[in-house]
Amino acid sequence: MMEIDGLAKAFDGVPALVDVALSVRNDEYLTLLGPSGSGKSTLLRLIAGLEQADAGKIRLDGADLTHAPAHLRGLGFVQQKYALFPTMSVADNIAFGLRHRRLAPVSDAAEVARRVARMIDLVGLAGLEGRQIGQLSGGQKQRVSLARTLVTEPKICLLDEPLGALDANLRERMTVELRRIREALGVTFLHVTGNEAEALAMGDRMVVLDAGRVLQVDSPATVYSAPATVRVARFVNAYNLLSGKSSGGRFRRGAHDLPLPPGVGDAAHYALRYDAVAIDEPAAALDDDRASLPATFIASEFLGSRVVYLFRLPDGAVMEVERHLSRFDPIVLRPDEPRRLSWAICDVLAFDAAGTLISNDRLGRAA
Amino acid sequence: MHQLKGLRLVLAAYTALFIAFLYGPFVIMAILSFQQGPEGGPQFPIIAWSLFWYKHVLGIAPPSRVAPLPIGEALTRSLILAFATMVVSTILGTLTAQAFRRRFKGSSFVFYLIILGMMVPGVLLGLGMALVAEQAGIPRTWWGTAFVLHVVYTYPFCFLVMLAIFNRFDASVEEASWSLGVTPATTFRKITFPMIFPGVLSAMLFAFTLSYDEFPRTLFTAGSQVTIPIAIYGTFAVEIHPNLFAFGVLTTLFSFALLTIYGVLMALSVRRAAARSIGLQEEIA
Amino acid sequence: MTATNTDIVYVAGQSAPAKPSFLARNRHYVLLLPGVLWMLVFLVMPLLMMLYVSFWTQTTFAIHSTLTLKSWVTFFSSDTYVEALMRTLRIWLIVLGLTFAIGYPTALFIGQFVRDKTVQTILLVACVIPFWTSFLIRVLAWRPMLGREGAINIVLMKFGVISHPISQLLFTELSVIIGMVQIYVVFMVGPIAFMLARIDDSLIEAARDLGASPMTIFRRIIFPLSLPGVTVGAIFVSVMVLGEFATSAALSGRKVNLLGNIIVTQVGSLKWAFAAVAGVVLTVVMAAVIAGLLRLVDLRREL
Repeated sequence: MMEIDGLAKAFDGVPALVDVALSVRNDEYLTLLGPSGSGKSTLLRLIAGLEQADAGKIRLDGADLTHAPAHLRGLGFVQQKYALFPTMSVADNIAFGLRHRRLAPVSDAAEVARRVARMIDLVGLAGLEGRQIGQLSGGQKQRVSLARTLVTEPKICLLDEPLGALDANLRERMTVELRRIREALGVTFLHVTGNEAEALAMGDRMVVLDAGRVLQVDSPATVYSAPATVRVARFVNAYNLLSGKSSGGRFRRGAHDLPLPPGVGDAAHYALRYDAVAIDEPAAALDDDRASLPATFIASEFLGSRVVYLFRLPDGAVMEVERHLSRFDPIVLRPDEPRRLSWAICDVLAFDAAGTLISNDRLGRAA
Repeated sequence: MHQLKGLRLVLAAYTALFIAFLYGPFVIMAILSFQQGPEGGPQFPIIAWSLFWYKHVLGIAPPSRVAPLPIGEALTRSLILAFATMVVSTILGTLTAQAFRRRFKGSSFVFYLIILGMMVPGVLLGLGMALVAEQAGIPRTWWGTAFVLHVVYTYPFCFLVMLAIFNRFDASVEEASWSLGVTPATTFRKITFPMIFPGVLSAMLFAFTLSYDEFPRTLFTAGSQVTIPIAIYGTFAVEIHPNLFAFGVLTTLFSFALLTIYGVLMALSVRRAAARSIGLQEEIA
Repeated sequence: MTATNTDIVYVAGQSAPAKPSFLARNRHYVLLLPGVLWMLVFLVMPLLMMLYVSFWTQTTFAIHSTLTLKSWVTFFSSDTYVEALMRTLRIWLIVLGLTFAIGYPTALFIGQFVRDKTVQTILLVACVIPFWTSFLIRVLAWRPMLGREGAINIVLMKFGVISHPISQLLFTELSVIIGMVQIYVVFMVGPIAFMLARIDDSLIEAARDLGASPMTIFRRIIFPLSLPGVTVGAIFVSVMVLGEFATSAALSGRKVNLLGNIIVTQVGSLKWAFAAVAGVVLTVVMAAVIAGLLRLVDLRREL
């Protein structure tokens, strides 16, 4: 169990992390989502001991690690660009930590070979032990990098955008692999990524970081369905966000006003999930529990299992509508064709002027 | 530009001439080193071809009116001095370049302070050091006052070589090693050093040759026990004989031997890395 | 790095120091210390000492630390010394000009006309190989070239260009200049060739597509881009030529005295204060030249 409290770091006076608090549990997959420049890599490097914090504490199982040197922390760090040792073979790379670490090095060659062989099997590198690093593909390097860290049995394994340098196909396979390997070893993974799909898919819990601050720590399902702030909703990349003013339980945006869910007072932002919006005929009748806006079609994108349609609202804002083909047949629209976009009022998320999610009845039940 | 055929030919011919200009004196010197001895002088025509002057340099020629070159002990001193200079300046250069991997206050000052060492004319440094030694009552010796100046001269070269190497060095490899629980010292030994070794070798080569051939700094600071270049400089005042030319040819051959050793070490370091990995592969299988 | 006291195991209940250790925080200063100290003691101190001693009182047989300007007055009122200073500056300018004029075409060929990297390297190595012969031997090798019975006179006479050997070739200012140019021209060729080889081909192609003549391309693109190389080369050559004394000692028969030769002679006769004055003058000249050249190029970036 690692606890981080009040952690702060600035580079040349520019703050990278501001008062970060976080606790990492044992045996969990924690993903850390943040856009580039959010300070996510800095946080990881502070935890690994590769940078020194300006303020705050990092504790691991009660021991204060804040200023401990990197090599005495007992943590693992998997770098984005693999950082394999170029002068060594695959097996030597993996054996390096066991042989040369300061604490409890393994001097018995047979024992090293046994553990290395087990790890090579686990990450699926059998047969490549003697290869030089230059002869490996990107995915293989990633596995070597992972095996090299995991064989030292770190208390927490830090992964810095581990899939960032892989192509899409490999990335999907490694997603499954990473979870399988983690579960097999029972080690905690702290996985930093800038990709929301990766963060949602892989984490038992996820942290959303922006501008050096933690915005939300929750299960991916909660982050997805109830983002704590407008910014989180934006990072999750699943919401149409409209901003405006509200009065008397109605949300005003230009010439239009939209009903707000019951129990919501002053909302400054109105969020609609892409897949909660329906596309209706321009003159379609509207149920009482639904709201709608007129829109014109711009373009659509076919994504295999789903289709994304882009519409323009009268005030110029773009709305994205996602339809899963398992539930709907694809529809064909001409550009500039008028339509009416509608949604259930209870699906609306409202945020106040500070950007914080306003709890409503449905969310109250979910929580 | 490279489509201008005519100009290209002219420049190629010019470059050939230029290289002839660089090698000309040496070729003439090499020819004259086979002059007949001991009567033959350091000029044409060649009276008769002979190896007399080579024997003379090596001390196996019959005694004659030409005094033997005072090189025996001087050569030993020069080699020891060059070796010590090489070791110290390579270590200093590597340490400093390592420090320059981080930005720090006053880095420009330190940079130019070090570069100053190769910029200041040797004769000035030699003079300054001789003055310091004179006033402090320190005897001037090749292993003391001359040695420290040699390092002042070669350390900037080593520093620049190592700086260039570290500029291209990926620091994340070291971070990976620390994160595996390996101390910075072991990391340097096992990871960093093997990666920068070719650079270290080049720095050593630089330092050795510069020190071996150094004389303006040594002239005022070596005292009475001279090094090879000072011994040669001493012959400037008197009449020269082809034995100097023979010596020049021999030292050039020595330089090439050194270059060959450098090449072999370079090749070995590559091969050793390959051999090591094969060893472990068998262990696991 | 010391094994015992820094290796604390960070287990439950135990705490690391509140701050990283002094050594950890100042690691790069510790790394810098030996080198900086070495340079301060063995480089800066001797130079300051030289400046200090130049104001000491010099008598025929001794020197003592009473401060005086006498040595300076002697230096600047002596024809020998002022002439040596002027000769040093003249020879420096001539050698600088000649190394540039002779070296640039070669650098242009290597850097722009040879496209094969291997051939480029081979040519550059060919230029460097003579450096594997001792500097003093290389200087001496000019004697059998330039002498009355030297190779050049023999060849010229054989081809009937001259009927009597030219005796002005050796033991004159000319021989000193020839020797210096040959030894130092490579320091001009190297940096220029390096800069020329770095020029992006597409730049030249674009200029040609726009209809620029080869002469215009050279004047407007290639030459300006090679200037940092020229400056670096000029710094190298200047530093070495201004501090020279061996070439003139070997090839001028002690007739051409440069500031460096003055220093050597004065040290030889234990006239420390005069030697120091000459040294300070040389330092000032050198500093002015280098500072001027450094204004044209950021050495730290080019190296």
